[in-house]
Amino acid sequence: MRALLWLASIIAASLLAFMLGGYATDVYRKMLVWIALALSYNFLFGVAGQIAFSQFAFAGVGAYGVVILAHKLGLPFGVALAGAIALCSLLAFIVAVPSTRLEGFYLALATLAFAQLFLVVVNEGGDLTGGTGGIAGYRLPDVFGYTLRGPWYTVVLVLLVALTLHILLRLERSSFGRACRAIKDNPAVAAAMGIDVRRTKVITFTLTSTLAGLAGAAYAYVDNVINPPVFGLDNIFLLLFMIIVGGMGRPAGAMLGAVLLYLAPFVLEPIVGHAYLVLFGVLVVLAILFQPKGLIGLIDRLVDRLGPEQRA
Amino acid sequence: MARTRFASALAFATGFLLSAAGAYAQDVIKIGVITDRVGSGKFYAEPVTRGIELGAKMINEKGGVLGKKIQLIIEDDQNKPDVSAAKARKLVDDGVIVIMSNTGSPATQQAQTVSLETKTPHLTPANSADTLTTQLDNPWFFQTGPLASIQLATLMTYTKSRGFKKVAIVRDNSALSQSFAESFRKGLDGVGIETAVEEVIPQGTTSAVANLQKVRAAKVDAILQAGILGPEMLQFFRAYQQLGMKEPILGSYNLSIPAYLTMAKDLMEGVVFVDAYDETKPEAKAFRDIYVKEYKEEPSSLPAYGWDGIHLVAQAIEKAGSLDKEKVRAAIAATTGFSGAIGAKGSSWGFRNGGRSGFDPQGAVVRLIKNNQHGPVVHSGQK
Repeated sequence: MRALLWLASIIAASLLAFMLGGYATDVYRKMLVWIALALSYNFLFGVAGQIAFSQFAFAGVGAYGVVILAHKLGLPFGVALAGAIALCSLLAFIVAVPSTRLEGFYLALATLAFAQLFLVVVNEGGDLTGGTGGIAGYRLPDVFGYTLRGPWYTVVLVLLVALTLHILLRLERSSFGRACRAIKDNPAVAAAMGIDVRRTKVITFTLTSTLAGLAGAAYAYVDNVINPPVFGLDNIFLLLFMIIVGGMGRPAGAMLGAVLLYLAPFVLEPIVGHAYLVLFGVLVVLAILFQPKGLIGLIDRLVDRLGPEQRA
Repeated sequence: MARTRFASALAFATGFLLSAAGAYAQDVIKIGVITDRVGSGKFYAEPVTRGIELGAKMINEKGGVLGKKIQLIIEDDQNKPDVSAAKARKLVDDGVIVIMSNTGSPATQQAQTVSLETKTPHLTPANSADTLTTQLDNPWFFQTGPLASIQLATLMTYTKSRGFKKVAIVRDNSALSQSFAESFRKGLDGVGIETAVEEVIPQGTTSAVANLQKVRAAKVDAILQAGILGPEMLQFFRAYQQLGMKEPILGSYNLSIPAYLTMAKDLMEGVVFVDAYDETKPEAKAFRDIYVKEYKEEPSSLPAYGWDGIHLVAQAIEKAGSLDKEKVRAAIAATTGFSGAIGAKGSSWGFRNGGRSGFDPQGAVVRLIKNNQHGPVVHSGQK
C-alpha cells in the first residue's frame, strides 16, 4: 500500500511537468531542487540538531564538480557525476571531523567559514570555475541513449526528491535516526546510553552534505548555467527559514516550508508588490513566537481536533 | 435546431473574442524588463529601469513604433540568477518581443539560457561583465553597457597620464571587490605602475583608519578604490578625511551609482571615477532636460543606459518593420553608429564584425565628483 502511495505521488508530481507552461515549469523545477535541499538540511538541523551553514556550499561542490569533470575535463557523464558526489562526501567528511567536535555557534561559524572559502575558490578559480561569471554553454549528455530535456528532466528532479525523502525517512526511522534525536536532545545522556556521538555526527554531516551535493549536481542542468551567487549565503538563510516555518525535524514540514517560501515571491509579488517581504518577515516571526513546531505542527493540531480516527 | 443555432452563436462569439484578443495583442509592442526591486542590485537596476520607462513614454508620445505603443512588462528577479531565468520565461510566456536585463551580470547570464532557447532578442543596456557575450554562443543576446575591460583601460590610461608611478589599492572583502582589485593590479602592471600596497577593509568594520595609515606610510602617488560595499567604503572615505590625506582617489565605475553621493556626502570631493556619461554631449543634454522635466531631479548615468537601450530596441523594431523576433534580432545585430546619451563625445555604438558587445572602446570617461555631484569629464577614451 505504501509502495503504491509512493508510486502514485511520483507519477502525479511527474505528470505536472507535462501540464505546466514554460514559466510554471521553470519555477516548479527550481522548487523541486529547493525541496531536496530542505529535506537534507532538515535532517541535519531539525533531526540531528547541527547548526551548519554549508549546505549550499556542498550543493555548489556538486554542481561545479559535475560540470567541471564532465564538460571541462571531458569525463563520461556517469563518471563525472560519481566523481562530484565522491568529492562532496570527501570534503564533507574532512569538514565534519574537526567541525563536529564543536557545538552550537562554533559549528555554525566553522561551516560558515567553509561556505565563504568555497565562494572565494569559485570566484577566483579562473577558467576552471569561470570566476564571477560562472560556467555556461554546456548541456546534459544523453544518458543510456536517452535525451533528458524539457519535462523529462523535471521527472529526474521529482525522482531526486523521492530518493532524498526515501533515504532520509529510512534513516530517521532507524536506530541511527533515534541516535541523532538523542544527541540533539542531550549529547551527554546519548553518550551514556552508548551512542558514539562524534561518529554519528560525522556520518550525519557527511551524508546530508552529500545529498546536498546531489541536489546541486541536478540543479546544474536546470538552466545549464552555474554561477557563485546561487551558492551564496543568502540562500542558506532562506533554507533555514523554510525549516523553521515548515516545522523543524519533520520531512513534511521541510517540504511545506520549501514550497511556501520558495513560491512566496512569485505568487505574492504580483499581488502585494514589495510588501511580500514584510509578509515573509511577519510569517517567520509568528512561526517562531507562536508555532515553534512550524506550519506542520499547526496542521497536526487541526487534524487532532478532527479526532484520532480522522487523523489515522 | 435550437442546439445548432446555439453552437453557431457560440462559435461566432468565440471567433470574435479570439480575433479581438489578437487585434489587441497587435496594438502594442510588448517589451520585457528584468529589474531588481528588492535585492542587492536595486541601487543600479532601478535607475536603469527608470530610464527605460522614460524612454518608452517618450517614444509612445511621439506615436510609438510601427504605429503601435510600447508596453513594458517589468519583472523583479531580486538579482538572483535562478529567478532571473524564471522571470525571462514568464516574459516569453507573456509574449514579449525583446527582453531587457538590468540586474547583475550573473543574473543576466542565466536569463540568457532562456533567450537562446526561446529565440527571443535579449539586450542588457548596463551590464559590464566581459564574459556575457563570450561564455555562451547566443546570437540573440546583445550588450551595450561599457565592458569592464574598456572602463579599466580608460582608468589606467588616465592614471598613467597623471604620471603616477606608485599606487595603493583599497578594497573590501566581497568577491566582486576582490575581482575588481585583481583587474586593477593586472591593468597597473600593464602600464608599468607599481602597486605598493593593497588594503582590505573587512565587512562590518567600524573604522578604516588603520588601513589608510598603512596606505599613507607607503607614500603612494594615488589610491585606487576598488570597493563595492557601501558601509565599508563609507569608512574608507571617512578615514581619508580624518587623516587629512591628499593622495588623489581614483574609483571604479561602482562610484557612478548615485547612492554613494548621499551615503558619503561631503566626503568624496575631488574623487575621480570611471563612467560612460558626459553631460555636455548634445544627446546627454537632451536626455537630461527630459529627465529633469519628468522627475524634477538630476539624472546620473544609470537612467541614461536604460534610455539608450530602449531607443536602440525601438529603432531596431522600426528597421525590422515587423514584430518577427528573427527580424528584430537581425536589425539589432545590424546596428551601427548609434549615438545616444551614453558614451564620450564623438563615440557611438555598433555591433561590428558580428560582435554582440556594442560599446565604443573610446566611449568611457573619467569624471570628477564636485559639490556632491557627478561632475565634469576630466579624461576621455583610452588615448
